[in-house]
Amino acid sequence: MSDRPSRQPAAALPRPPLDVVQQWFQAVVTHPAGVAAGASSPAAQRLVRLDRGSLEQLVRRSRRLTAEQRLEIYANAYYARLLECLRDTFPALTRVLGAEAFDSFAFDYLQRYPSRSYTLYRLAESFPRFLDETRPEQSPAAGTAGPAWPDFLIDLATLELAIAEAFDGPGAEGEPLLAAADLLARRAGGDFAKARLAPVPCLRLLRFSHPVNAFYSSAMAMRSRQPVEPPGLLDTRAETAAADLPVPDPGAEHIALSRTDYVVRRYPLTPFEAAVLAALVAGATVGDAIAGAAAASELPDDELAAQLDAAFRRWTAAGFFRATTS
Amino acid sequence: MTTPPRLGYANLGLGVGLRAAHFDHILRHQPAVDWFEVISENFVDSGGRPRHVLRQIAERYPVVMHGVSLSIGSTDPLDFSYLGKLKKLAAEVDARWISDHLCWTGVLGSNTHDLLPVPFTEATLAHVAARVRTVQDFLERPLVLENPSSYVTFAHSTMSEWEFVSRLAEAADCGLLLDVNNVYVSSFNHDLDPDEFIRSLPHHRIVQFHLAGHADYVTHLIDTHDHHVVDPVWELYRTAHQLTGGVSTLLEWDARIPPFPVVHAEVLKAKHFMGERLPAPPPLPDIAPATTPPAPAAASRTPPQVPHPLHHLRPEVA
Repeated sequence: MSDRPSRQPAAALPRPPLDVVQQWFQAVVTHPAGVAAGASSPAAQRLVRLDRGSLEQLVRRSRRLTAEQRLEIYANAYYARLLECLRDTFPALTRVLGAEAFDSFAFDYLQRYPSRSYTLYRLAESFPRFLDETRPEQSPAAGTAGPAWPDFLIDLATLELAIAEAFDGPGAEGEPLLAAADLLARRAGGDFAKARLAPVPCLRLLRFSHPVNAFYSSAMAMRSRQPVEPPGLLDTRAETAAADLPVPDPGAEHIALSRTDYVVRRYPLTPFEAAVLAALVAGATVGDAIAGAAAASELPDDELAAQLDAAFRRWTAAGFFRATTS
Repeated sequence: MTTPPRLGYANLGLGVGLRAAHFDHILRHQPAVDWFEVISENFVDSGGRPRHVLRQIAERYPVVMHGVSLSIGSTDPLDFSYLGKLKKLAAEVDARWISDHLCWTGVLGSNTHDLLPVPFTEATLAHVAARVRTVQDFLERPLVLENPSSYVTFAHSTMSEWEFVSRLAEAADCGLLLDVNNVYVSSFNHDLDPDEFIRSLPHHRIVQFHLAGHADYVTHLIDTHDHHVVDPVWELYRTAHQLTGGVSTLLEWDARIPPFPVVHAEVLKAKHFMGERLPAPPPLPDIAPATTPPAPAAASRTPPQVPHPLHHLRPEVA
């Protein structure tokens, strides 16, 4: 944000036009190195040629504070506010990293993905992608097999972002949902295989390289007992908590995430169930979804049939599909 | 034609800012609150519980929508998609009016999510007044604008904040939300007289008051909304009440939020400053003071106080 080029010529003081003042102000108070560096940055200098010692030509001092100190109030608040918002969106990730380390990631994230929306609810939407884009190269000495520590962080961030989006996104509360009895009726009628099921808008299917779902539950339970304080409080409790919450070993995990009664709920899936659900969500008929998933599975047919039976009962109980089917 | 008091908007009485921490209490106990103000951005896009709760509350209480993202002072174009969402929600909850702040939040497409100050110049006045008129035409109702707390002023300003606000209200024919705490905070920060500020406004255009607590850093005050209203702000409120004849009054509490009865009791204290004969207010609940400045040794370990409102809700997960 602070280095955004401007086509405006550097303005003459003392009365720069409003757009120049605003672009300069934004460049200064959002600069990652603070107000003095912000005022000296090329982005700010292109707009208003003021060095650190002459800020009072544009911003008045008060009886108690210099212009630079007053601008720092905005600069501090900018990062404090957005970091607080990101910590709120990723509480388990904050727990596992500790607030200090989390804020370091989040601070860098804000440089690459500053908010461009009127709502803070979109602030975090690129954070998992940012973690992936900035993940450290895996050392050849460490071998290439299996996911690494960054994958766990990215998985956890992905889960937490999905939870936040499902919580306040569109849902299906109050709408008629597909019930187990509806499925039984379709099966009895012989046309179940041809049915296409309409997923509720809050249903999300997630695949992870680490078992982050149980980890998330543990982290949240720990958080309710022992909150992580924001950085700056020398909170040794966060370090203790992280030690009490070991990072799980790698292992594939499939999770369906949905919302009923305005509460987000998580449902572990077997790989076979995940394949069936993914096909159904993509619009396949029940028959095609099952056939495709079965063909990719090494489990015997009777085992798959048993899984399916139980799965459809769970999915209807969890309200994964609207009542309307075709 | 003479502008009617409060632009014809009703005096709703003593209200409380609706916060997620109080959702369950309000739905369960239906407290005798006169009205609620909601942060528009917490609800305009919500397809989940926040909007569901708001619908229920709007069935029982008058609701006012208070935004933080209009950015009326910005030189970026107005966001008509956002305005459309405001208009839709206002119709849905029968919002009595829509307010936001006399500020800007970002330029060049970015949003700092802060309420940033404008220079008080003729050019700014013309720019903002034109945008207010556009917004009012779109929303088909008068806009109500709040004086934000501010921490800088610009050397090239040519008028006081109260002159700017007064002339803007007349030029754009809009209403004012007088945040009494913000007057106190800004006046302290800019070495101004808060009493002169309040006395100099067009009182017939004041639709609503805000009250809130702030944090005292000795060299400056920050509008943190995390504590009780301090006595000097109550005294300013007394003055404002006398000058306006009384308008809708709303308490904001956005951080370190206490239980709802504490917040409600805080706004009810306003009755003692309206000239009503009432018993002495109850003693304050025990809340750690935010008005004590951090000791120098501790200052570096204390997270910065964030001016509020911070408009973000935590999800509920099973």
